[in-house]
Amino acid sequence: MKHSIKLEYYLAALIVITLLNTFLGEKFSSTTLVSILIAMTVTYKGFVVIDHFMELKGANKNLRFLMRLYFIIFPSLIIVSAFY
Amino acid sequence: MNSHPIKNSLGIFPKSWSEEYAGRIPGNIPIWVGILSELTEFGIFFAAYFIAKFYYPDTFAQGPQSLHTSLGVTNTIVLLSSSYFMAKAMAFIRVDNKIKCERYLWFALSCGVLYLIIKTWEFHWNTLQGFSANTNEFFTVYYYMTFNHFIHVGWASCAILWVIFRLRRGAYSSTEHSGLEALAVYWHMIDLMWILIFPLLYVLR
Repeated sequence: MKHSIKLEYYLAALIVITLLNTFLGEKFSSTTLVSILIAMTVTYKGFVVIDHFMELKGANKNLRFLMRLYFIIFPSLIIVSAFY
Repeated sequence: MNSHPIKNSLGIFPKSWSEEYAGRIPGNIPIWVGILSELTEFGIFFAAYFIAKFYYPDTFAQGPQSLHTSLGVTNTIVLLSSSYFMAKAMAFIRVDNKIKCERYLWFALSCGVLYLIIKTWEFHWNTLQGFSANTNEFFTVYYYMTFNHFIHVGWASCAILWVIFRLRRGAYSSTEHSGLEALAVYWHMIDLMWILIFPLLYVLR
């Protein structure tokens, strides 16, 4: 039951972050700061899905590492692309 | 565990990669081969996006403003909800509550179908605005990524139907549900790819 309530909490957090990201993108021209914020929230969203929905937290550490690495590499490229 | 044909080691991986040392593999090994292949495929798409954005910064700055952002946001929420429903389905099969497990699988399937309907409407809306894969580099990447993702959601939705059929036939229980778990991790992977696609195509200018 506790795990189930946590899932609801994480879903709410993911939706709020999605709406916040959209607001940032719509209201502000893509400054470097906005891109960094969006990249960080994408990483956070990825980590939440990997650990709590996919349930890799406490499962195979190599698979978890690879999945989390993916959500470090590509959001990092978002930050790099802000300097184009 | 060693008697499980799928989980038997081939003897070609380091010992540190075994379940005994690294931890349990959710689902089964074949689905993870598939997931890692899909991640590589989408990784190539993302690399193509960043290379194209480097060469055509103005096109990529204007591109997201041409898209129907509300539809993109709605689809993001729909896919996040589908992941939540899938996680709930997994939680219920673990306590042998097959009725609630099936209910949440139907919810996840509904989200998948809703995503496909919204995406089809978005493609139609783009066409009405005069946008196509040939419009410019941004739209080439947009169609390349989103149509591929669309196909993935399509076949994974069919897989949910198959899993519901198997659940009804009594194939899954609290002790044996690796097939259901394999679909769940694949579905979450599709959601993860959209989490990356959404800001790249709809938000970042």
